[in-house]
Amino acid sequence: MFHKNTFFGWLMMGLLSFSASSLHAQYNTLWIPDTLSGTNFDLTIKDTFAQLTPGNQTITGGINGKFWGPTLFFNKGDTVHMNVHNKLNEATTIHWHGFHFPAVMDGGPHQVIPPGTIWQPYWKVTNNASTYWYHPHLHEMTMDHITKGIGGLIIVRDDEEAALPLPRTYGVDDIPLVLTDRDFDAQEQFVVVPYGDSMMVNGTLRPQTGVPAQAVRFRILNGAIERSYNIGFSDNRNFSIICSDGGLLNAPVTLNRYVLHAGERIEILVDFSGQAGQSVDLKAYNASLPNFVAGSENFPNGPFANYLGKKDFNMLHLNVGAPTANPVTAIPATLKTNVLLDPADADITRVITMSDSMGVTNPTILGPNAFIINHKLFDIDYIEYEVPMGNTEIWEIRSTSGFGHPFHIHDVEFNILSINGAAPPPAQAGWKDVVFVPRGQTVRFIARFEDYADALHPFMYHCHIVLHEDEGMMGQFVVTDAPSGTLESVEDAGNILLYPNPATDRLYVSFSEPEMQAYYVRIINALGKTMYMLPQPQLQNGIDIGHFPTGAYFLQLTDEKTKKVFTRQFIKTGEKH
Amino acid sequence: MKLWSITSYGTTALLLAASLCLGFSSKSEKTVPDFHLKNVDGTFVSLINYPEAKGFIIVFTCNHCPFAKLYPPRLNALNEKYGKLGMPLIAISSTDTITYEEDVYSKMVCKARAEHFNFPYLFDGDQTVAKQYAAQKTPHAYVIWKEKGQWVVKYNGAIDDNGGAPENVETPFVANAVEALLAGKQVEVPETKSIGCQIIFRTKE
Repeated sequence: MFHKNTFFGWLMMGLLSFSASSLHAQYNTLWIPDTLSGTNFDLTIKDTFAQLTPGNQTITGGINGKFWGPTLFFNKGDTVHMNVHNKLNEATTIHWHGFHFPAVMDGGPHQVIPPGTIWQPYWKVTNNASTYWYHPHLHEMTMDHITKGIGGLIIVRDDEEAALPLPRTYGVDDIPLVLTDRDFDAQEQFVVVPYGDSMMVNGTLRPQTGVPAQAVRFRILNGAIERSYNIGFSDNRNFSIICSDGGLLNAPVTLNRYVLHAGERIEILVDFSGQAGQSVDLKAYNASLPNFVAGSENFPNGPFANYLGKKDFNMLHLNVGAPTANPVTAIPATLKTNVLLDPADADITRVITMSDSMGVTNPTILGPNAFIINHKLFDIDYIEYEVPMGNTEIWEIRSTSGFGHPFHIHDVEFNILSINGAAPPPAQAGWKDVVFVPRGQTVRFIARFEDYADALHPFMYHCHIVLHEDEGMMGQFVVTDAPSGTLESVEDAGNILLYPNPATDRLYVSFSEPEMQAYYVRIINALGKTMYMLPQPQLQNGIDIGHFPTGAYFLQLTDEKTKKVFTRQFIKTGEKH
Repeated sequence: MKLWSITSYGTTALLLAASLCLGFSSKSEKTVPDFHLKNVDGTFVSLINYPEAKGFIIVFTCNHCPFAKLYPPRLNALNEKYGKLGMPLIAISSTDTITYEEDVYSKMVCKARAEHFNFPYLFDGDQTVAKQYAAQKTPHAYVIWKEKGQWVVKYNGAIDDNGGAPENVETPFVANAVEALLAGKQVEVPETKSIGCQIIFRTKE
């Protein structure tokens, strides 16, 4: 294994008699994340450890497991209820990347889950069948928490996709591949750096897996901190991209190289028919990445130095085995008829700039070299745009930055209109939520913000290189259905009553005014610890408190319309009186 | 791409590398004060209660942390072996009990019984001692040695180099440090990175 700080690394290795045997180690079996399906999902985020290298265990962050979380299967049209328990000893958030939902469900930097707290967002899945993901999004801590391995994939299924003759047996002919890289120190612990020396797929170093001799679907996420991967196969075979971030393309796009940037997903079909007994490598051809794309640099030293920079390297060794019983052998000629948004329908064009800060000071890591959006560092209290609900908008991202940045927007999927004046390549002509903005170029996309107005809770847009995001390359917008400043006065905000009080099993909330509604509920124990965060809870059936320890609690309710906060005490008793 | 200014990681690495290279340890040695903490048997424990001790192995650990859970048998073995030689082991739990109910005093009592701790397991409820030592993770071990009436930190960091597989340990850092001190030698590796769950210090309200 290679160590980032070679002076430190090799010295320690010498002193502690580490051998370099791992350089020659055999392949490890590719780990396929477990799956969860249905409409209720229990996710426990915790500090744990994993045997990733031959030596000591690496301290990791797991969701229900040791590194990386389960793959969640959603059906379009279902309402999914998430039960996210933060058992880390620090606060974090979980953002559902690519999903369309109310801002309070989004899991961005405002939905901070304190340690020990359970967060219960829910939403109706309206996204198309595709591969999405979930990951931490706590401002200035995203890189730390993603480095630990906190995250997971989400696979959405819908009728349209289900009707197509595509491989969909998870782990067999439909294989998730989460690409990332990590650095290990001399004690086998993760180093929080933008580029790692060791490629990992699904948390596995030097992975191999078997594939059947037929058409196989790979769902590929670039889950790296910074690096882009120029994906290809060692025999230069073609593969067909069938799906981009937000859904199926109109038709497969056949290529032998494709650059996937941080946060992006593609689904590809690869035909292994008649190749049983053969092996091929999935590689990153990063020696030929264009300049100013993450991973194209080869710094010999300094914090961005890394073993994989500007190199071609293996990602996954594939061994072709026997075909399955009912193999998919053909790649469909057409997939879907996407109805894209029409630029003529745009209500507004917003111009967003991305640039190098050139001295805008930042108290953290990059200092005066941070990257910025609209000439300022991220400010969690500043909302840049109020998007009227129902708007169709063109966002024109103009980069004067000396580096390329993958731009991601929350809440919506978009259609790329142009990249530096030209139409997007066919593999990016469908629905997207991340678009790479090359150095000094302009990208235009169109999106519709059709529902879920919330003047208080913003959505984010940011560079998905999480180092850049953590250092301030992020901004916020809200979707509103009324001009700002028209909230009703808090004095007329009514009142709430909790009953029964004391309560044993269920606690009910009664509102003095019929139009009152819960926007957010927090339940706080007598020590001041937030136990539950319930965004827009449905309170008709009360709140289940049967499992709470007996004692005094506070319920803090924010009213939907006025945003007035009511705090009321209640007593949980063990027995009915 | 741009370059970072020197990060804290780089600084630590260089300092550590320098101290390893040159083998000096006396210049920057840290001293730690005595403490007075409640043990799982209800008594209070201080270093001054051990007039015969030449030094101590102080281990910051806790109930909940999965990495700390791997070590109790090794802590018993260290205390069994070195307690007799004047280097007893004392474990201290300093994690935030508001966040981790599993780490409250009553559950420490249960843990010490269940795992047959042969050493004191002290409750540092206000995290004062962990702050004095600058303990980072659970477990985080300190080997301290009595010099001119003061407690001098001779080693701090990981207990050994393999948490999950004790049979694969190549370097038992704490045992090596204790052996060196008992033999009147310099501790060869005076510092490693402690590995485990971060001890988060509560901010005063």
